[in-house]
Amino acid sequence: MTGAGRSRRTIVLLYGSLTVLAIVWLVPVISAVMTSVLPLSQTRAGWWNLSFADLTYRNFVRAWDQGLSHYVVNSFVITILSVVLTVAAGSLAAYAYARMAFRFKATTYFLLITTMIVPVQIILIPMLPWFRTLGLSGGPQEYLGIALVHTAFGAGWAVFMIGSFFATIPEDLLEAARIDGAGWFDVFRRIALPLAVPGIVSFAIIDFVFVWNDLLLALTLLAREHQPLTVGLANLQSPHLAQDDLVAAGSIMAILPPLLLFAALNRFYVRGLFAGATKG
Amino acid sequence: MASRPATAAPTAQEEAVGAQAPRPSRPRTARRAGRRERYAPYLLIAPLLAIFAGFYLWPALVTVLSSFFEWGLLRPWSLVEPDRWDFVGLANYSETLTDPSFWNAALNTAIWLVVFPLLVASFSLLVSILIWYLSRGGAAFRTMFVLPMTISLAAAGVIWSFVYNPDPQIGMLNAVLDKLGILGADWRLGPLELHIGAWLSDPGVLHLGFADIRLTNLALVVPAFWVFSGFGVITLTAGLTAVSYELVEAAKVDGANAWQVARHVLVPALRGPLVVVGVVSVIFALRTFDIVYVMTEGGPAQDTMVLALLLWQQAFAFLDTPQAGLATAVAVLLSAVLVAGSYRYLRQLLAGRPR
Repeated sequence: MTGAGRSRRTIVLLYGSLTVLAIVWLVPVISAVMTSVLPLSQTRAGWWNLSFADLTYRNFVRAWDQGLSHYVVNSFVITILSVVLTVAAGSLAAYAYARMAFRFKATTYFLLITTMIVPVQIILIPMLPWFRTLGLSGGPQEYLGIALVHTAFGAGWAVFMIGSFFATIPEDLLEAARIDGAGWFDVFRRIALPLAVPGIVSFAIIDFVFVWNDLLLALTLLAREHQPLTVGLANLQSPHLAQDDLVAAGSIMAILPPLLLFAALNRFYVRGLFAGATKG
Repeated sequence: MASRPATAAPTAQEEAVGAQAPRPSRPRTARRAGRRERYAPYLLIAPLLAIFAGFYLWPALVTVLSSFFEWGLLRPWSLVEPDRWDFVGLANYSETLTDPSFWNAALNTAIWLVVFPLLVASFSLLVSILIWYLSRGGAAFRTMFVLPMTISLAAAGVIWSFVYNPDPQIGMLNAVLDKLGILGADWRLGPLELHIGAWLSDPGVLHLGFADIRLTNLALVVPAFWVFSGFGVITLTAGLTAVSYELVEAAKVDGANAWQVARHVLVPALRGPLVVVGVVSVIFALRTFDIVYVMTEGGPAQDTMVLALLLWQQAFAFLDTPQAGLATAVAVLLSAVLVAGSYRYLRQLLAGRPR
């Protein structure tokens, strides 16, 4: 489809309407960015009347000093721990579900897949007493506790997504390695795992965004000193406190890491998807 | 564990390997490897399934079991302490199902269930078809619409609170409406009553005779729709790559205009992807918690209360009252509806899987 066959008017109309939609779509983000880089006095008079001389990074410094630094560190600890656990346990299991036969395979697979649909609330309520029983509350071990919950809830996606990459590997390749005398673990580690790296990275990105953005689990399961940025932001947000500048700076901090991750790994991610598509 | 086939299989393999590489240490390694081969899948799934059992299956089971007891978080229900059980049978369920605040939250959740998937599906359909027609620049536009997808609902709630700020000096939306001269207008259109500008306090009411539906919910649906539409745009643009140009060219030769091509060629080709977008947004809508918690906490009054937030408040906001049993009943009902409603989708997911 090239533009050659169509009238000029249609093309202008197409680009025009998409541009207007895109601008409307980005206004909320722009609104938050502007509120975060202007002094509150300026924001109170409409950020769209901005004068560039007033641009400041002070809001970020103040938000950081007033406790958000703590939340940011917690967000990174929780997210990295969760993603590492989910990717490690998930890749192993995904390989078994994609390439091996074993008892109760269909049943356990079905149970794993239900995590994609069932709401977190189904496990949330007895979780605090359960954490206490397991010794996972009242200290830094809470990080491990919530990471394990995230792993359990990411299990379905992990096995489904990473497994679809393992499934596209030609059987001949694995068989050749076996004939050469490689044990099952070598076949997995030296042949299958490297080929599934694009899938594992795509999953890791999606899981990172998912865990980083979680509010409900963190709000419910963690003591205040271990809570992540999403909870910090919810605490900061209050119509009665005139601190839009701090809230906006906090929201930008919360948005940036997943956004940068997507931007940085986008090409790799897309390549991974295409690799999966052409092999399949 | 030395059952017959278990010992027989390695021996055969041992001989084969031994014949290939006649080194003295080889047969023993091969036998060990052969025996390990049988346990390989179980070793591979063990870590994930252990975590899954401990942090999903077991708590979910406790939720279901404890929904037949009265308990609170200060006096938690425990399977191993039967002397502290307070069995109430189905009372938590009957109390929930006769509670007006449950039905209020259920109604608001139902509004989410209808409006949210419709908004997501129609917007992403429009955008993906417009992008499909572009000869260049499509990827850039797609990126812009997908961008909000990485934003947490908590941050989205905060950001949209700025947009919705009732003061036209601060809130972008009301500033625009002020310029248009309709800020603060009260309109009455049949059963529909609108108060322009009071987005999160009282934007209007739909009078339906038997019930008044407050429109504050819609003000909360919009930010969620804004975050989630990227998923629809990705899914539908991917679906459109499967449309053959020959078909479109043929339709054009037959004299079809752009609208007719979209209506009769593109939309039918997107039936499958649209179902996926619909099902996933229904699941998303039923789970709604973050946006409401950040923006209104269910208020004003109970106008924006949804089931996911209601049960959370029952369990965690009023710790001294033993309402956790009620909350588990709501959680069980919610999950049952979700699993029942998406069962066919689940089966499809399972069927699409290579064995």
